Amino acid sequence: MTAAVAQRQRADRLRLLVQPIAVVVLVGGVLAWAFGQDLDSIERQSLNASSLVSATWDHLVISFVVTALVLVVAVPLGVVLTRRWARRAAPVFLGIATIGQASPAVGILVLFFLVSGLEGLWAAVLPIAFYTLLPVLRNTMVGLQGVDPALVDAGRGIGMSAGTVLRRIELPLAVPLILAGLRTALVHAVGVATLAVFVNGGGLGLLIDTGYKLARVPVLITGAVLAVGLALLVDWLGAVVETYLGPKGLR
Amino acid sequence: MSFWEFVNDRWSRLLVESLLHVSAVVQCTVVAVVIGVGIGVAVYRSPLGSAAAIALTSAVLTIPSFALLGLLIPVLGLGAKPTVVALVLYGLLPIVRNTIVGLAGVDGAVRDAARGIGMSRFGVLTRVELRLAWPAILTGTRIATQMLMGIAAIAAYVRGPGLGVEIFAGLTRAGSANATNQAIAGTVGIVVLALLLDGVFAVIGRYTTSRGIRGE
Repeated sequence: MTAAVAQRQRADRLRLLVQPIAVVVLVGGVLAWAFGQDLDSIERQSLNASSLVSATWDHLVISFVVTALVLVVAVPLGVVLTRRWARRAAPVFLGIATIGQASPAVGILVLFFLVSGLEGLWAAVLPIAFYTLLPVLRNTMVGLQGVDPALVDAGRGIGMSAGTVLRRIELPLAVPLILAGLRTALVHAVGVATLAVFVNGGGLGLLIDTGYKLARVPVLITGAVLAVGLALLVDWLGAVVETYLGPKGLR
Repeated sequence: MSFWEFVNDRWSRLLVESLLHVSAVVQCTVVAVVIGVGIGVAVYRSPLGSAAAIALTSAVLTIPSFALLGLLIPVLGLGAKPTVVALVLYGLLPIVRNTIVGLAGVDGAVRDAARGIGMSRFGVLTRVELRLAWPAILTGTRIATQMLMGIAAIAAYVRGPGLGVEIFAGLTRAGSANATNQAIAGTVGIVVLALLLDGVFAVIGRYTTSRGIRGE
């Protein structure tokens, strides 16, 4: 499968180059178009600098809190589940996480809202975090399991404790996969965060919803394009981090 | 009303919505397979073309589905049209990528041998390469359907068909007696349907993979 790997790398390089340019052109173009329109008073309520910035900010906050939460839960869980004494429990957690991801995001969001009665940021963050847990958990486990046992033995052989082996050998070697999982999770989170509007969580989905319900196309399109631009931008940042922040020896 | 009473009470409606959900997903997947394999076949010999196709389709996948549906409303209106376009677009990535990976993974010696016994280029493609790439293409299709099951739920927002209708109905009726039941029925229904469809794919895979590569 070396051909496939080479192809992926070429595709990644292509996106690294083209994606940010596309985002700037797309978002700049749509903002110029929207503000160039003859806006009525309802449209002006949504389409002004401060409400656009605050919707984008809400969106980013939701996405990053989700990612932080996933990072804090999934990586330690992945580490625990790959230890010899806990290996039997791994299929149970992977099963739960798989079902979580197979279920519709909007369903989980709405259900959590109805059952918990919460509203706002946490009503959006908790279900989205549950929904995006799987890629990070699975990649952490696959990354740790993929470490050559001979390296672990060698580490133990030169007198390292199990904890030191984990910290200085296993985790660094698993970092590329963990980062790839995090990037997937972050992009998922930005996407699902557009649904946060349904549980009064704000974000760019609010503009889409407002534009749709009040039949104001410029508001709808601005919200949607900002969400698209943000997703592409976050994905691009993830790609940059993956390319330049992985351990040097593995590049 | 308990959840089971609710399901009993609304059984016929839930059944229709489930059928609509599955049929929308399956039909869109079929269209995505035709287009996706077509794109894959068109570009797999060119490294730049393959890279461009994979880059473009994976960029499409990063687009939030709610945003894409929103963008389609002014162009296509409400109902089936935006649903179909969105589902087909999202279904493309795994299929295109796996088609290219599968076709590029065919052993060059096998290709040469097929040419050597006098097969035309088209014959090599349809009778050798695509058959060897089929398990990969099928895996891509399977991933695509699982994804589309969830996205189809959001399509109810633009008046698309399926179980998403129950979820959004539960949301708008928050606080009333059956709101939670409706949301549960929609969500769990989609999970169950996704699992069933996955099982169907396992069976399809067994009967459509060439005997030589089935590994039995």
